[in-house]
Amino acid sequence: MALARDDGSDARERAAAHVSVPDLGPAPFPGFKVGDPIPLGSGRFESRWAKVRVTTVARAAPRRGARAVARLSARTPEETTNLVLALSRVEDGRGRLWVRARLPVLPAGTTGWVRRSALGGYGVVTTRLVVDRRALRATLLRDGHPVFRAPVGVGTPSAPTPRGEFYVRNKLTDYRSPFYGPVAFGTSARSPTLTDWPAGGFVGIHGTNQPALLPGRVSHGCVRLRNADIRRLARLMPVGTPLTIR
Amino acid sequence: MSDLTLAELDRDGALLDPLAALQGSSRAEFLSRAALGGGALLGALLAPIPAEAKPSHKQDVAILNFALSLEYLQDSFYTEVERMGGFRGPLGEQARTVAAHERAHVVALRDVLGGKAVKRGRYDFRGATESRDAFRRTAVAFEDLAVAAYKGQAPRIANTGYLVAALGLHTVEARHAAWIRRLAGKTPAENAFDEPRSAKSTLGVVASTKFVLQTRSRRSPRFTG
Repeated sequence: MALARDDGSDARERAAAHVSVPDLGPAPFPGFKVGDPIPLGSGRFESRWAKVRVTTVARAAPRRGARAVARLSARTPEETTNLVLALSRVEDGRGRLWVRARLPVLPAGTTGWVRRSALGGYGVVTTRLVVDRRALRATLLRDGHPVFRAPVGVGTPSAPTPRGEFYVRNKLTDYRSPFYGPVAFGTSARSPTLTDWPAGGFVGIHGTNQPALLPGRVSHGCVRLRNADIRRLARLMPVGTPLTIR
Repeated sequence: MSDLTLAELDRDGALLDPLAALQGSSRAEFLSRAALGGGALLGALLAPIPAEAKPSHKQDVAILNFALSLEYLQDSFYTEVERMGGFRGPLGEQARTVAAHERAHVVALRDVLGGKAVKRGRYDFRGATESRDAFRRTAVAFEDLAVAAYKGQAPRIANTGYLVAALGLHTVEARHAAWIRRLAGKTPAENAFDEPRSAKSTLGVVASTKFVLQTRSRRSPRFTG
């Protein structure tokens, strides 16, 4: 480079004499280009869930001897893969990871610490379903924006739909019952009054064969939608979606 | 490697489809050569790539898909680290930066492959995205693997343009490798010469991590009924 800066013919000749490089042509063009690095979104509306890989015990604190809060099995009562909503995590003094999870147990809103090794890979959703018991309306949010609204039926005063934070555990289509319509979602919410129902009275979100009753306070705690609405919701709402009932 | 089973391997084609294409067979033919047992499958994986697999456009597509499958794996890994947001300082900066690179690599490869691009697999990183120590060890392994894997395929690429682009990806992976090795307390450039790694050997390493999920077996997650 110093020779080039001299900008004199003598210098160029000296360079040519010392560096004999054939013309190798220009640098080749790549067949495709890679764009700029792609930053991750804010993650503000993301929720994370994980399947329960093996039966485990959720504990009140992230340590082996802490009080047991609930037993989590790998399957739901509907024989689908069980899952939990992952809220946070810590590493204990021995380097073991623990995940604080929302649990499908009573009372509503219960959380517990589960060993990370008992859970599978994380799934991420950016959806949230909000059921407003007063307005009798369900709203599905995606990235914070409403993408679905529908009138609903909720529990009667004697069997109220529970209020709180829950999540969608599964989507069921393989049954033949006009009462539940074409699709039913299982949730982590449980009826506070009908605990003697099969499997413990989990709250579902499903269709109906009595659409004229909607909107209204007509169910045993489940959230009922018209069949066209539940079909539309089924296309929009993945399992693992957080559910707010207020 | 001896405990490698079919159940530990991806059955959505994230890795097997490209490998089968590299071997000049369909994925079904590739799998049919293996009984449903670990040893037999491993034997199939270790079968040599046929000599007739000469440079061709078809093979270029297979190689690009093989690269895409590795980029999916890395993208998913670093993106999960970034989403978890658990690492601060230099390690967090490395994860965020590399994640953004890997996402760009995935987009570029998907664009060039179009409808021939393989689908993204499903992964369970088993805590490697949440523990600093596990992350460092895994990231070193992934980056060293990617560098060697690109090198293993580069001479087999027929299209010079693809080769130039692949070398552009390869050198970035090498920078990633040096960066994370430094953060892991390892010498960034340990040797004067880097060996290439074959596709089947690369797949064997990936399979041994058990990070790639099988999604079509009876043991797979089932969220509908």
